[in-house]
Amino acid sequence: MNALRVENLTKHYPRFTLDNVSFTLERGCIMGLIGKNGAGKTTTLKSILNLVSPDAGTIEILGQPFPAQEAACKQKLGVVLGGIDFYRNQRLSAITETARRFYEDWDETACRRYHEEFGLDPAKKVAELSSGMRVKYLIALALSHHAELFLFDEPTSGLDPVSRDELLALFRALVADGTRSILYSTHITSDLEKCASSITYIKEGDVLASAEKSQFLQSFQHLRTPEDTAPLTLEDIMIRTERREYHV
Amino acid sequence: MYNLLYKELRLAAHPSLYVFLFMGALVLIPAYPYGVVFFFGMLGIFQTMMYGRETRDIYFTALLPIPKRGVVKAKLLLAAFAQLAELAISLPFAFLRTRYLAGGNPVGIEANLAFYGIGLMIFGVFNIVFFPQFFKTAYKAGTAFIIAMIPAVLGIIAMEALVHIPGLGWLDGIDAASLTRQIPLLLAGIAVYAITWFSAYRLSAKRLSQVNL
Repeated sequence: MNALRVENLTKHYPRFTLDNVSFTLERGCIMGLIGKNGAGKTTTLKSILNLVSPDAGTIEILGQPFPAQEAACKQKLGVVLGGIDFYRNQRLSAITETARRFYEDWDETACRRYHEEFGLDPAKKVAELSSGMRVKYLIALALSHHAELFLFDEPTSGLDPVSRDELLALFRALVADGTRSILYSTHITSDLEKCASSITYIKEGDVLASAEKSQFLQSFQHLRTPEDTAPLTLEDIMIRTERREYHV
Repeated sequence: MYNLLYKELRLAAHPSLYVFLFMGALVLIPAYPYGVVFFFGMLGIFQTMMYGRETRDIYFTALLPIPKRGVVKAKLLLAAFAQLAELAISLPFAFLRTRYLAGGNPVGIEANLAFYGIGLMIFGVFNIVFFPQFFKTAYKAGTAFIIAMIPAVLGIIAMEALVHIPGLGWLDGIDAASLTRQIPLLLAGIAVYAITWFSAYRLSAKRLSQVNL
């Protein structure tokens, strides 16, 4: 069973169209969703979450149709939306106490364990946490209800290299047992070199390519120039695909 | 349903909403436009919606394992709780007033059954305008509040003015005969409140389903 299947996802805005986006995320994998700012990464994630209402397309989460089975699917989802901090003046304990009431498989022992593991103090307010710790808190919440699919929208943006590296190690650990999967949107391609097993590249609302990472890299090697001595990285591929020339 | 209300009260409600629950005590003021009590029942909701924008409350709720319309249900449950609790808390004060300050309210309506009946209608009108207007965008609380306050304030003014019209003095009474005449108004208020609450929920949920958060 796939963790996530997206088919022909379409959303029209007056000046932008997310056009027939399709990809599949296998269980136990980390998929990187790349593209420059405004390419449609966040719209794709929000459409998958029903925060944005798509005009067309099929979404299947852990084998269940979404949003037809919205509540059941969300029981197994963990979400981190970059730049969106909930309840900055609330203590973690208040948010946890509220969230746990909504999940059938809430595991209080696991919740305490992950709080300890990540060094989270329930008495602290959200505003007192660093950006990296806020991401860890949301992951701890998701792990407490045994989430199997994690959707991350730019979770490492704005973090220092050490915090980013810590989070990437955590992401790898999350999928290590093969039951959890991560769809991870970012434009920090070096993060994906370290942890993603497959890549989906969105450009101006279209999927340019979606494949296992080595295949993906291979499929863009035609962009190499005689000056290149090493294979192209994800960053090289993005820059060469998106590069614009200005005539001023 | 209980969990949604718990979430609203624990995380989403603006602190002023709790203060405004006690504004029913204003009926103890000997001469005062008691319709102001209802204004606070609406102001607390508006403040909470503004606060929710700051705390990203709608995103948090929408990501919980509930259908998207649960976002609307949570807000309407909070509104019902705040408005009905404010009226319930005002009841002992209204009783004290009619017992110990029986000289009447020279400014406007007395805190009697008609007052509560018309007040419920005012809350109902506010809810059916405010929530569907707000959930057109899920963030423009100010516009929704201004639009909803127009009929609500007109309702409050009408309530306060009606009792000064000759022939409608029974609306202002607290004697047994006047209170008996006011019972249908109270029942109508309850019915209007319930109908507008459900209509506001259905209309708002439909609108939110089209909103891109």
